[in-house]
Amino acid sequence: MDLLMTQDEVRFRDEVRAFLDAHLDEDLKRAERLNPSFLAEPAIGLQWQAKLSEKGWVAPSWPKQYGGTGWTLAERYIFDQECERAGEPHFRGASIKMIAPVLMRYGTEEQKNFYLPRILNGEDLWAQGYSEPGSGSDLASLKTKAMLDGDHYVVNGSKIWSTLAHHATRMFALVRTDDTGKKQEGITFILIDLKSPGVTIRPIRSICGTHEFNQVFFDDVRVPVSDRIGEEGEGWDIAKYLLEFERGGAFAGGVLRAMLTRLYRLASEPLPDGRRMIDDPLFVARFSEVATDVDANDMLELAAMSKVQAGGNPGSVPSSTMKIERSRIRQSIAELAASILGPDALRWEERRPLHELPEESEISEERKVASAVYFNSRSQSIFGGSNEIQLEIIAKTLLR
Amino acid sequence: MDLNYSDEQILLKESADRFLKDRYDFEKRARILTSDDGCDAAIWAEMAELGWLALPFSEENGGLGGGAVEVSLIMEAIGRSLVVEPYLVSVILAGGLVERLGTPEQKTDILGGLIAGTSRPTLAHREKQTGFDLGNISASAVRTSEGYRLSGEKPLVPGGAAADVFLVSAKLGESLRLFLVPADAAGLTRKTDRLVDGSRASDLVLDNVSVPASALLDGGDTLSEIEAAYDRANAALASEAVGIMDALMDATIAYTKERVQFGKPLAAFQALQHRMAEMAVKCQEARASALLATLSVDAPRSLRIRGVSGARAKIGKVSRSVAQEAIQLHGAMGFSEEMPIGAWFRRLYAIENTFGTTADHLKRYGEIIRDPAVLSGSLLREPV
Repeated sequence: MDLLMTQDEVRFRDEVRAFLDAHLDEDLKRAERLNPSFLAEPAIGLQWQAKLSEKGWVAPSWPKQYGGTGWTLAERYIFDQECERAGEPHFRGASIKMIAPVLMRYGTEEQKNFYLPRILNGEDLWAQGYSEPGSGSDLASLKTKAMLDGDHYVVNGSKIWSTLAHHATRMFALVRTDDTGKKQEGITFILIDLKSPGVTIRPIRSICGTHEFNQVFFDDVRVPVSDRIGEEGEGWDIAKYLLEFERGGAFAGGVLRAMLTRLYRLASEPLPDGRRMIDDPLFVARFSEVATDVDANDMLELAAMSKVQAGGNPGSVPSSTMKIERSRIRQSIAELAASILGPDALRWEERRPLHELPEESEISEERKVASAVYFNSRSQSIFGGSNEIQLEIIAKTLLR
Repeated sequence: MDLNYSDEQILLKESADRFLKDRYDFEKRARILTSDDGCDAAIWAEMAELGWLALPFSEENGGLGGGAVEVSLIMEAIGRSLVVEPYLVSVILAGGLVERLGTPEQKTDILGGLIAGTSRPTLAHREKQTGFDLGNISASAVRTSEGYRLSGEKPLVPGGAAADVFLVSAKLGESLRLFLVPADAAGLTRKTDRLVDGSRASDLVLDNVSVPASALLDGGDTLSEIEAAYDRANAALASEAVGIMDALMDATIAYTKERVQFGKPLAAFQALQHRMAEMAVKCQEARASALLATLSVDAPRSLRIRGVSGARAKIGKVSRSVAQEAIQLHGAMGFSEEMPIGAWFRRLYAIENTFGTTADHLKRYGEIIRDPAVLSGSLLREPV
């Protein structure tokens, strides 16, 4: 048992570092620093995706046969750590991390051959169509209806909290094709072209001031049966498979450590009154506590990774623990950063995206975005299965 | 990187759990607590037979060559069964220092007796003003024609009651040194108290205690070896705390499943389910944190402090919360000394105040984490 990299992994890390030094430009890093959301502005994300595409590094988690890297889990971990340390724009959202694994597992050859390359080259951006106004944590109660009409489904209803749907070309959605039996059994997984007639997108501005979420309405939207994934009624199983990817399939240690490092830099600069927060014992105590949380989360991730490498499964209690802790740590760091703004916390910049504003010093810009980052961080404990749902999962495992 | 236990390590853990389950139940422990020195001779002899007392020492010194991971597994089992015998202070702390600083004769003598179960050395280092500045020692040593004469006070020496020999630190001129002092040395008085967790500690007073020249442990940098030894002990304490937290979790789950109020088991109430799930989250985090401590004891100093003091700080906080919740969820039953809940609670409280408090460790961690390489660096390390 040890925490050592192999010589090959060290070489790999150095190669990734050298690539990031050479290709991740200052303007992309600045745009990411000024982005309060968990996903980059699509324009910024696509620029970075294009650069990675030349190197073949867009989709670290995909197998080689689909245009992925074919990396080991340890290499993916190291890549993630290095990208986060360098401050890359977070562009790997619903397309690369959610619909792609579903297509690989459940899609037909035609579906895979058509959709996967379009994700890699940035032609398609996908939005998620899970939650509905009346169905959040109780997802299986969803009501958006798809009625079979010849070789098409006719879709009516509404999806909500669809991240970046206003930029997306397509949406994967859970729809109800049957409401006679158990509610989970009448759900089907379909792919919707968002340019289809009958699709309306309403923006939802978040409390952080950014437009990232949307409500999407479907009014007699026709979807070819060939865009169904799996069989009719198989949607719930596919949804659960996808949520596993959303929950445990990604590393968060890199981004948490990067946020912590940024917070330390911010706290090292003199405030307008001349004080430095890193000289303040109360701040140092709070900072140190969060840092121990980040270390523990890193160890949880590495332990889960070791289990998977050995052919096992991390287990539901560790997975849900990580989901809960990641959200709390991110929220604590964001809250701590916002807490040191002083009266400047009251200033509010309406303009989005923030990186289009004239450039200021890095620290001034960190201070400018800190309130919005804090507000945005509250979503961390809600999406992808709220923390209350994670506690339910843990309680069921322990007490059944 | 591999964080999976080997088959041998899993066997060690199972055998440790089985031994203590069979031979060290809560009633047995209660009887041991009433003894004079808080140490059961038969249990200690069985620990010797099982190889626990030889575990961390190198094979050339008669040990089994076990590493920090093996020690952590024993410590988890010790935590769960609330073992009061001075395993940690005799084997990990004192034994470890003799192995690193002792002459071949001292190793043969002290480690030989320790491994055989006939000797229980302990470390008498900290003084009332020492705090976290481990070099802040007032006890003094002066050279004599035969050896050294030692004077000073060593309060709250853990394992003092059962010890036959002390490793006493003292200033020899400006430099810190360790000396072997037999418990029956002339001029040494030992006053033993029962501590908050039932274990024994002694207040030692050394009044011109004469020891021979061969009593000096002089094989290295004493102060940095003492610091490293406390870090190994603190990593071991972190694992002990994890064993206790798991035991509290298991007991709470079992109790709330069994206890019926308002016509259903307590475990059926969602308000309580979520509190137990939060306990489980803390147990998971503590386990991860203790593992980092365990895998850091042989790392360079800054990484060692990060791992060990980080774990003590983190585990201090979350273990306190888990213990408080366990008492609360047991209702009045958790308040009784008849159940182990309170004993686990008190042992965790003792751990929080042993070899540095939770706050001390947070401070020590906070100083090291300011190093940008430590703060922003991955936990993965380059091969040596």
